[in-house]
Amino acid sequence: MSELLRMENITKVFPGVKALDGVSLTVKAGTVHALMGENGAGKSTLMKCLFGIYRPDAGRIRLDGKDVEFRSTKEALDGGVAMVHQELSQAMRLSVMDNMFLGRIPLVWRHLPFVSEMELYKRTREVLDELGMDIDPRAPISSLSVSKRQMIEIAKAVSYRARIIVLDEPTSSLNEAEAEKLFGIIELLRSRGCGIIYISHKMDEIFRIADEITVMRDGRYITTRPKYDITMDEIIRLMVGRTLEERYPEKSNELGEELFSVENLSSESAGLSEISLSLHRGEILGIAGLDGSGRTETLECIFGLRRHGGILRVEGRVRDIRSPRAAIGAHIAFISEERRQNGIFPVLSVQENTVISSLKKFNTGPLLSSSRMRAATMDGIKKLRIKTPSEKARIKNLSGGNQQKVILSRWLLTEPEVLLLDEPTRGIDVGAKYEIYKLIIGLAEEGRGIILVSSEMGELLGLCDRIAVLSDGTLSGILTREEATQEKIMRLASGEKV
Amino acid sequence: MNIFKRGISSIKERTLEKGRRIRDGARSFIEADTGEKIKRATSFALDNAMYIIILLAIVIIAIMRPRFLSAASIINIISLTAAKLPIALGVGGAIVLSGTDISAGRAVGLTACITASLLQSTGYSGKMFPALGTLPIPLVILIILAVGAVIGLVNGFFVAKFKLHPFIVTLSTQLILFGAVLLYLQIGGNGGQTLSGLAPSYTSFISGALFTVAGIPVPRYVLYSVLITLAVWVIWNKTTLGKNMFAVGSNEDAARVSGVNVFMTVVLVFMLAGMLYATSGFIEGARIGSIASYTGLNYESDAIAACVIGGVSFVGGTGKISGIVIGVLLLQIIFVGLNFLSVDQNMLYIIKGLIILLACAVDMRKYLKRA
Amino acid sequence: MRLLKAISFIILFALTLTLFSSCGGGGDGEVSVFYFTYSDTYISGVKGAMDAALRREGIAYHNYDANGNQSTQTEQIDTAIAKGSRLLIVNIVDTGSDDAAKTIVEKARAAGIPLIFFNRSVSESVVKSYDKCCFVGTDYEMAGVMQGELIGRYLLDNYSRYDINGDGKISYVMFKGQQGNLEAEARTRYAVSEANKLLTAAGKSALSFYDRSNSNGYLVDQDGMWSNAAANNYMKTILSAYSEGGGNMVELVIANNDEMALGAIAALNEAGYNKTGGRTIPVFGIDATEAARARIDSGAMAGTIKQDGVGMSETIVKIARNLIDGRVALEGIDSESTVGDWRVNIPYSAYTKEG
Repeated sequence: MSELLRMENITKVFPGVKALDGVSLTVKAGTVHALMGENGAGKSTLMKCLFGIYRPDAGRIRLDGKDVEFRSTKEALDGGVAMVHQELSQAMRLSVMDNMFLGRIPLVWRHLPFVSEMELYKRTREVLDELGMDIDPRAPISSLSVSKRQMIEIAKAVSYRARIIVLDEPTSSLNEAEAEKLFGIIELLRSRGCGIIYISHKMDEIFRIADEITVMRDGRYITTRPKYDITMDEIIRLMVGRTLEERYPEKSNELGEELFSVENLSSESAGLSEISLSLHRGEILGIAGLDGSGRTETLECIFGLRRHGGILRVEGRVRDIRSPRAAIGAHIAFISEERRQNGIFPVLSVQENTVISSLKKFNTGPLLSSSRMRAATMDGIKKLRIKTPSEKARIKNLSGGNQQKVILSRWLLTEPEVLLLDEPTRGIDVGAKYEIYKLIIGLAEEGRGIILVSSEMGELLGLCDRIAVLSDGTLSGILTREEATQEKIMRLASGEKV
Repeated sequence: MNIFKRGISSIKERTLEKGRRIRDGARSFIEADTGEKIKRATSFALDNAMYIIILLAIVIIAIMRPRFLSAASIINIISLTAAKLPIALGVGGAIVLSGTDISAGRAVGLTACITASLLQSTGYSGKMFPALGTLPIPLVILIILAVGAVIGLVNGFFVAKFKLHPFIVTLSTQLILFGAVLLYLQIGGNGGQTLSGLAPSYTSFISGALFTVAGIPVPRYVLYSVLITLAVWVIWNKTTLGKNMFAVGSNEDAARVSGVNVFMTVVLVFMLAGMLYATSGFIEGARIGSIASYTGLNYESDAIAACVIGGVSFVGGTGKISGIVIGVLLLQIIFVGLNFLSVDQNMLYIIKGLIILLACAVDMRKYLKRA
Repeated sequence: MRLLKAISFIILFALTLTLFSSCGGGGDGEVSVFYFTYSDTYISGVKGAMDAALRREGIAYHNYDANGNQSTQTEQIDTAIAKGSRLLIVNIVDTGSDDAAKTIVEKARAAGIPLIFFNRSVSESVVKSYDKCCFVGTDYEMAGVMQGELIGRYLLDNYSRYDINGDGKISYVMFKGQQGNLEAEARTRYAVSEANKLLTAAGKSALSFYDRSNSNGYLVDQDGMWSNAAANNYMKTILSAYSEGGGNMVELVIANNDEMALGAIAALNEAGYNKTGGRTIPVFGIDATEAARARIDSGAMAGTIKQDGVGMSETIVKIARNLIDGRVALEGIDSESTVGDWRVNIPYSAYTKEG
């Protein structure tokens, strides 16, 4: 197999941080190359250097034996390098075909600025058919599920005839069936001689599809090995610099009296009907379901972000929750799946991001006490082991996992009884995941109730005391920890009764 | 006392930290190779372009026209800055919310008209309300603040309730306010005339001498402006409203999810802005000596420019009071300085435009760099 | 990023260039001239003449544009005084009250600098309150009076021709430059009243405002800028509702200045009037700007009142020379046009096609 891409000694310095320190990566044609490392290890930065978003301070990039230096994503795309980002940035109001051909829309005649809709449709259709995707090219992006939107990004990469395709956490928002489909497409691309750089934290996936594995840690290159020459434990050890005994921490939470319940929750806008759940003190209640089954929407209703019908009770009292403020008043906290959209305040500091939901606590008379806010922030940084240069750093300069921890820290300050966690470990590395699991269990042990939405079956099985399964906006069953298996959950999720 | 001590020690700490940073920066700069040096020097120059320009400008102007640094000239610049500051502080809040407020100038105009009409001397023949006498100044201040707050309430309500872009909302209120000014000037047979004959107690309250430096009086409104700035600094940095304002400006959805009352925050920020315009309107009458329908016209453009130059970004969620003060000061230094250099007036407009453009580009550069 | 650097450097370069290139005049002891607005055609004409006269006299000067805002002008005067100006020549913005002028007089007095107000009127008491102050301008009521007389004579010359619908009355529209401006008020009032005097003396009925429901008897530039555009917009709106066919066509247009008159003519032209060969609605302005004179010569405009901008500039510069050389302000000025020791009146004259 011939060498397709070689990145040599790439170094990238940001103010105060050396994000990459002489990292090298070689990808052969017709292989899937897994790039692994904890959050903040520099994987995304390395890929952004390749893709022309950042310009490396040192090092060189060779593509097909030629030195290249992309100055923009457009140049990278034209040069045969495509990237599917972890957090999708698409023009939501535009159609599938517009998104796919954005920046190179076919014209009726190349000297006239008129778009050929027909040509656009035809070419989009071709690419989608080629990949076996059943999506209408004219549908607006906003009408599609996250997984479909991701497929379209991949289709876009294919349509550029890219030789190198970078997939950054492609399955983080996909369910198992969708992930299967993705692997099929990856297989197809590999057989065509593409080089695929695959970034993921999911070990089972890596061992299924990768040919070679490169591990990074703290902005440095650690090793590259063929898949058959390395074990899962070894990878984890190399990634975190220590061994992890188990993937899920020991559970010792005990269930108490009923803390929270919802009766006949319905919402027209979210397509939910008559969902009833109850949550006990110290309990971790999982919510499983396919994409679009209404998991996130259920949490949004409980948190007052959506209009809804039904009766909510917290600690036995009926609560009318119509806004997040009312929910917070009822000691409910919500960590959303869309961190960037409604989680972080990107340009504000870690401190401001931490204290925003509990400013009342820091009032001394009419004024806020900076020292107490700082103390609370530092406390959170220490407790949750948040990696940040200081409490004054802008949160957008932190890695995804650390941003998530800041948000968790924010909610812990509100002293919640009920925590609604929507994919809390999405896009977070193994080491940090374990910490977050421990934290979740710790919260349950303190007698709080936790509702956990997750697409990762292992996570639900490993953490939850009970698992409620949604299917098409209705509750199709609740399984106890003892009865729950992957297969049962899948059957309930697809609407079968058990 | 304790707060003081803590304040001083925190300032000390910050100064030390800054010193350390500069030292570290200098050391690593010296150690870098030539190419790197040039790259970093240009980057430094671009990041601090506004300050470098202003420093250069001051030095050049002072060399060519030594009078530029005379007491009279410096007091002139300080007075001008003090007069423009409250408006800029108000607009600054709206920009932090990632909006803007173009009704500022007309709001100043209306409140200035009301102030002047209520504070005309009793004997003045053209008095708008002859029966009213001259109202006590504190009462007028309260009335004016209430008017400003109502203007802000209207702006904020439409922005927050109907999710309209502040530009559209304030464009509308700008027109409405101008209409109100014209109507107001017709009251009591005034017939659209300029309002003047202001009570001496009022003019001396605003432009009387606070103290004199080298025989040049410093007007009282400089002090008021300083107090207002301090108050706004406290609101921005030490209150829930301030923190919520930055949160809403940075990410409105996240603010909502975090339990911030977005509606109230937006309304209060605009009300605060309205009250700041009102204080400006209050000062304006005595400062200029008369108030007409054009009073306040286009004040918002200078205020917006000052905010942008001072680093209050249209991206939302960023901005500092100190930046706004510097922005207003820089604009005044440049305008006065260019007049000292006898630069053609026509060129002044062009230079003003270029400065704003440059400031915005430099500002955006900070965002592009780490995007 | 490279592009941004390039742009930044270009802007920096441009700024430095203007800084250096503009350092001609002397700092101390220059004469400061403050104009109400550069946007006004008549004022920029005066400015051109004044610049030439000052340069000829070898007097260093610097111009300021208040852009129609008294606050701006007052601030500029502060700056000029701080800069060390030796003489202030002020075309004041706010003519609606004395206070703005008083403020300026106080500033000049405090600095001990002589002060010449020009063009836009300042009341006698204010000018007289400071011994180093004088006023050069026109008897502001005269412009309106002369315009009224010109209109009266013009109409009587061929009354039936201008009375388009033959109802025995001339319907007119009046464009006012600014609300609350003394000159605008006077022009608006006297142009109509003086014309009516002549008409009624000749047995004709008085002028009637085209829109009965408008009790003001004028349309005003809402922005107070005496602008071409404002009059043009009004005129277009009028022409869309009033026409010869409807028997209610506007038969006379009076404007406070030439700019507004020209705006009205542009609208009339669009509607097919005031072109060679077609029907011409008489339009009157004031100022006698270049453009207006050209229109009068071609027949598109009926007449204007000439305010002698060049003469005014010459007089101001003469006074400036006197003050600089330490002589009495009005020494050597034609005594016919002086009022006491505080005022010089620049005479008006009518300008029509006949001359």
